[in-house]
Amino acid sequence: MSGAADPAIRMQGVSKSYRLVRDRPMSVKEAVVRRSQRRLVEEFWALQDIDLEVPRGSFVGLIGHNGSGKSTLLKLLSGIHRQTTGTITVDGRLSALLELGAGFHPELTGRENIYLNGAILGMSRRQMTGAVSEIVEFSGIGDFVDAPVRVYSSGMYVRLGFAIAVHVNPEILLVDEVIAVGDEDFQRKCLDHMAELRRQGVTIVLVSHDLDQVRDLCDRVAWIDRSLLVEVGDPDLVCDRYLASIHGEG
Amino acid sequence: MRTVSEPQSGGPISQVKRGLALSRAYLPLTFNFAQRELKVQHKRSALGWAWSLLNPLSRVFVYSLVFGVIFRFQPPEGGSGQLNFAMYLFSGLIVWLLFESMIRGAMQWLISVGDLRRKVYFPLETVAFGGAAAVGFQAFIEALVLLAFMTAYGNVGWTLVLLPVVLLFAAMFGLGIGMVMAVFNTRYRDVENLVVILLSTTFFLVPIVYTEEIIPDEAYGLPAADLIGANPISQFVGTARDVVYFLEWPSVARLALLASYAFGSLGFGWWFLNRRSMALSEEM
Repeated sequence: MSGAADPAIRMQGVSKSYRLVRDRPMSVKEAVVRRSQRRLVEEFWALQDIDLEVPRGSFVGLIGHNGSGKSTLLKLLSGIHRQTTGTITVDGRLSALLELGAGFHPELTGRENIYLNGAILGMSRRQMTGAVSEIVEFSGIGDFVDAPVRVYSSGMYVRLGFAIAVHVNPEILLVDEVIAVGDEDFQRKCLDHMAELRRQGVTIVLVSHDLDQVRDLCDRVAWIDRSLLVEVGDPDLVCDRYLASIHGEG
Repeated sequence: MRTVSEPQSGGPISQVKRGLALSRAYLPLTFNFAQRELKVQHKRSALGWAWSLLNPLSRVFVYSLVFGVIFRFQPPEGGSGQLNFAMYLFSGLIVWLLFESMIRGAMQWLISVGDLRRKVYFPLETVAFGGAAAVGFQAFIEALVLLAFMTAYGNVGWTLVLLPVVLLFAAMFGLGIGMVMAVFNTRYRDVENLVVILLSTTFFLVPIVYTEEIIPDEAYGLPAADLIGANPISQFVGTARDVVYFLEWPSVARLALLASYAFGSLGFGWWFLNRRSMALSEEM
């Protein structure tokens, strides 16, 4: 068993490269016809040599420009993609809200998707039944819960996705910048709820472009720039340096 | 719950261990996929579940009409002295339908889950096993109908207890092949079209609508009867027919052979899917 002193997340020398294949053949015929021609394969390093520890119960903000590698980092942590090198240790039940819509199947109703997501996170049907009313209540989607998810507005998608992610008793919660899609009220509600989860000891990693939010909520901030981890530390300090770098460049 | 992830997935033994641990942890999800498959199958249809029976029954009817009535194939005598082409046909067709649904299903399940897998992590095997469970349920109902037929004709015996075993082996054999095809199909959608053609060809190369006896020993210089007989699917079909129609016990060697096909195919398919799983999630 792990002691309380162990970090919730530990990344050691983690790098991730994607292979960008220009004009990948989409059918067997193309693949055969193109055999002779040279295919252009480019390696793109989304993250390089990241060492990062997230202490248990902490609230860590990830900041950086678009395309700097923040979302890739969350994808590696949640296991959607696998790192090219390095080791990632995740200690605890992890729930993630990454892209718009979380893990929804468009043809299923909201309610069926709630059960599906619960099952993905390893919760039994009985455990989920208890959580359904809370999820519906929190998301505010009302009667739409029994309509197929494909008819939802983007706001409803995110609201339901967030509600599920926080109601499956996660020990570690990863949230990408998706909550920015919701309206002011809902964003406020999400932030309040994350603060509450944090009080309960949940470890949270949040990607955000709103530096005021980050200063307000987080106790540590990691700044990623062009696939490299630039700095980790006190929110005010890191945010100020980040801002200075932006103004310096501009 | 502590998970350590490394770039490589380790040796075969650690992979199997991890696979088994995972399959237990993801049992609720597998069950959910199975339920979903059953639910979605007959959504927005008036007859609903009746379709699961109408499809195999219509095939039994059409093939019996064409091959039994028009071509006048004489089926061999059944275990209780009956001569019935429809029963002879159905006892082999049930294996084929299961095999076919596993392969075609596997390709569709993997495609349908692609969007989900890009946003949240779960092992891809879960959708394959969930779908397989749904197909297995369908086969179970078909088997009940087959047994009802056999009972009505008085063609029953203790060998029938082996039918579930033969069907299970055939399902595992089909699922393993399906997993491999499904992986290729996520990359090249042509695979599905190709597989459909191969399946409809193979169907006629297996003694389902005709009897083994009428296959010529040699055709175009090839040992036709031996080739068709050596086909694993022919052996599954033949064994199902032995236990259901002829009411004969298959040899232990025959069962061992079917088991090795089943475990070999599923083992390879599972391993292959697992190995390609991470790359697939980035490609899908």
